[in-house]
Amino acid sequence: MSSSDGPQPGVPDVGRDVDAMVDEETADAREELSKTDHNTDLGIAMAADAKRVSRGELSAEAYWERYDEAAEREFGDAYRETPNPSIESADQTIDAGVADSMSCSVGSMGSVACDLPADGDAVDAGTDGDETGGDERWGMVIDLEKCVGCDSCTVACKAENRTPPGVSYNVVMEEEHGEFPDVTRTNVPRPCMQCENPPCVQVCPVSATYKMDNGVVNVDYDRCIGCRYCMIACPYGARYFDFGENYDDEVAEAGEVTSPEYGVDRGEREDGESPVGNVRKCSFCTHRLERGEEPACVETCIGDARNMGDLDDPDSEVSEMADSSRAFQLKEHEGTDPNVYYLK
Amino acid sequence: MATDHSRFEFDPGFVSDRLRVAWYAFVGVLLLAGGYATYLRITRGMASTNLTSTTPWGAWVAFYIYFVGLSAGAFLVSTLANVFGVEAMHRIDRDALFAAIVSMVVALLFVWTDLGRMDRMYHPFVWRQFTSALSWEVHAYVAYIGVLVTELYFSMRYDLARVAERGSGLRARISGLLTLGRRATTEASRAADRTWLKRAGVVGIPLAIFMVHGGTGVLFAVSKARPYWNSGLFPVIFIVSAVLSGTALVLVLYVLRTRLFDDEPVDRDLLDQLAKLLAAFVVVDVALTAIEALISIVSFHPHVVETWQIIAFGEMSWSFWWFMVGFGWVFPLVLLSKREWRRTPWLMALAGLSVVIGIVAVRFNIVVPPQIRPVMEGLPHGSYFPTAVEWATSAGMIAVGLLLYTIGAELLPLTPLDGGDH
Repeated sequence: MSSSDGPQPGVPDVGRDVDAMVDEETADAREELSKTDHNTDLGIAMAADAKRVSRGELSAEAYWERYDEAAEREFGDAYRETPNPSIESADQTIDAGVADSMSCSVGSMGSVACDLPADGDAVDAGTDGDETGGDERWGMVIDLEKCVGCDSCTVACKAENRTPPGVSYNVVMEEEHGEFPDVTRTNVPRPCMQCENPPCVQVCPVSATYKMDNGVVNVDYDRCIGCRYCMIACPYGARYFDFGENYDDEVAEAGEVTSPEYGVDRGEREDGESPVGNVRKCSFCTHRLERGEEPACVETCIGDARNMGDLDDPDSEVSEMADSSRAFQLKEHEGTDPNVYYLK
Repeated sequence: MATDHSRFEFDPGFVSDRLRVAWYAFVGVLLLAGGYATYLRITRGMASTNLTSTTPWGAWVAFYIYFVGLSAGAFLVSTLANVFGVEAMHRIDRDALFAAIVSMVVALLFVWTDLGRMDRMYHPFVWRQFTSALSWEVHAYVAYIGVLVTELYFSMRYDLARVAERGSGLRARISGLLTLGRRATTEASRAADRTWLKRAGVVGIPLAIFMVHGGTGVLFAVSKARPYWNSGLFPVIFIVSAVLSGTALVLVLYVLRTRLFDDEPVDRDLLDQLAKLLAAFVVVDVALTAIEALISIVSFHPHVVETWQIIAFGEMSWSFWWFMVGFGWVFPLVLLSKREWRRTPWLMALAGLSVVIGIVAVRFNIVVPPQIRPVMEGLPHGSYFPTAVEWATSAGMIAVGLLLYTIGAELLPLTPLDGGDH
């Protein structure tokens, strides 16, 4: 970058000393720590040494040997009962001898988060096996007036869920009406409807597909026998059989990365291993919902036509949209009561 | 072997050794081809089929419901003798029962091959779904096979005991084992067998009609997403066509086994009875199918109307006109129309064979056409014709059935040793 041209419109000026800007913004440590009831000097000393640990000038073991007793004296039970990330059972970063000598408890930080009281709409991400807020009924509202039929949702879905050839959880059904020049086009994106009365769940002989508390219809890839009865039963054609095909001809190592669908990481895609030979479908990106993120199709929609939210919360945006006079569901006469609504 | 011999020179099986060799060679070739195709099926997975997500069920499902129907039909014919006491039918009741068991085994082979995860075939016995017809069916099939084996045992035990007692060699030893230790050859033991046979039959009839084959019809009929199947008459037609194919099978087996294994003259009266029964079932099957077609077409439900159009005028309409209507209904009805013909064994074997083949097309036309039109406007249309792997695996599984039946017919007293009159 040439500095002589001076700042260009719309281009950030990084000619200044950016590090100094950071220092300007940083609060004074002594001032901040003095606001608490705890020992300010201890805090400053621990922070300074922690920086040395991260620079590699001090070992983590030495750090904890130096501060374990002081911290226990200062924080008491709160220190003893809180798991220390450096001796977390799954991913310990300090050697066993020092870890054993320390007085704080062993466990994962996740287990602490689990015990915290859920506060309203907060998203406590990272809690194992627990859906986001815990009591949502996820629903989607798709505004057909805003949909331009760009198929971004279909593409985003394939990229997010790494679906193989022939499997496409989301498609856009396109229909042209009228004759030139009076032509209109209707684009109807079709994810899984996550029906309240799902016919697929009703027919599965091994209960491999079932409704979760959050309204999403799950498929247990470890239980599914691949009989495809659910595909016969689905009135929306939303289920796809995984024939084991791959994009290897198009992309090298296409199967190396898979999506942790329903929160289960299955590692690399392999022949004969689930989900090959199973029936697959849209999960509302459960793995993203659990992280407090919107499904990929919702996030990517260029016209903001897709909305995700809690249908059990009458004040949520999706509830209000689903209640509007423009709202309808696909094949309402089937009695399936989809959790995907459309706006005319 | 011949009629004037003592019955205790029990020697069932092919009369002609050349025919035996030719038959086993034929079955062997089918088994080899089927074995290789099954290897491809297992290594390549479901990609070895022409199935798609639009048309997820194909040839294997069609053959599966075909053999379930064949079994239920053959079983119901057997009950004519051992439950309803039609004396003349006693000659064929074991044959019918044994064919029903073999058909069921073949049906389960087909449904197993059809699973995306063949290694998980035991899952339906570990996990269940109360509302799933398929979950119920799997259990009904097991119970039904249990009833069939029980019935065959009670119907055959007396003769097995006699063979074990008075015969010699391998056959006598096998027969002895199959009596399960009940070797009495008294009239009292025979009467007890008949009582239990009848009891098992009484349990078996509703099981076969309502659970096994009616239930298989329900499996399709509950699919509201496929309006072509979603009809109350559908399971009834399933049962009628099952009885039709079963009667035809028993007719064919009776003629062939009497001529080729027992080397006895065919009982013309029995033949005539079976033929009339077959004709009656053809008529009922045609009538009910016509009623079903009429109801669905005048409903003007686009899905149903289009499905019927696919059946009658689509690219596979030859299977409807030639096989279903021709071989299944018209040709056999012509052969069954004259008394003289009904008493001619080879013509009746031909009529039976024609129905047995025609009903295969009935099953294909049940399974495939409703999966051609997509469930939602805007989704891709389906198109399905089985691959070579699907055909060859099917031939192999059918050959397993032929082999099992032939071995059984060569070893077991499937024809009552006193000619069927008690």
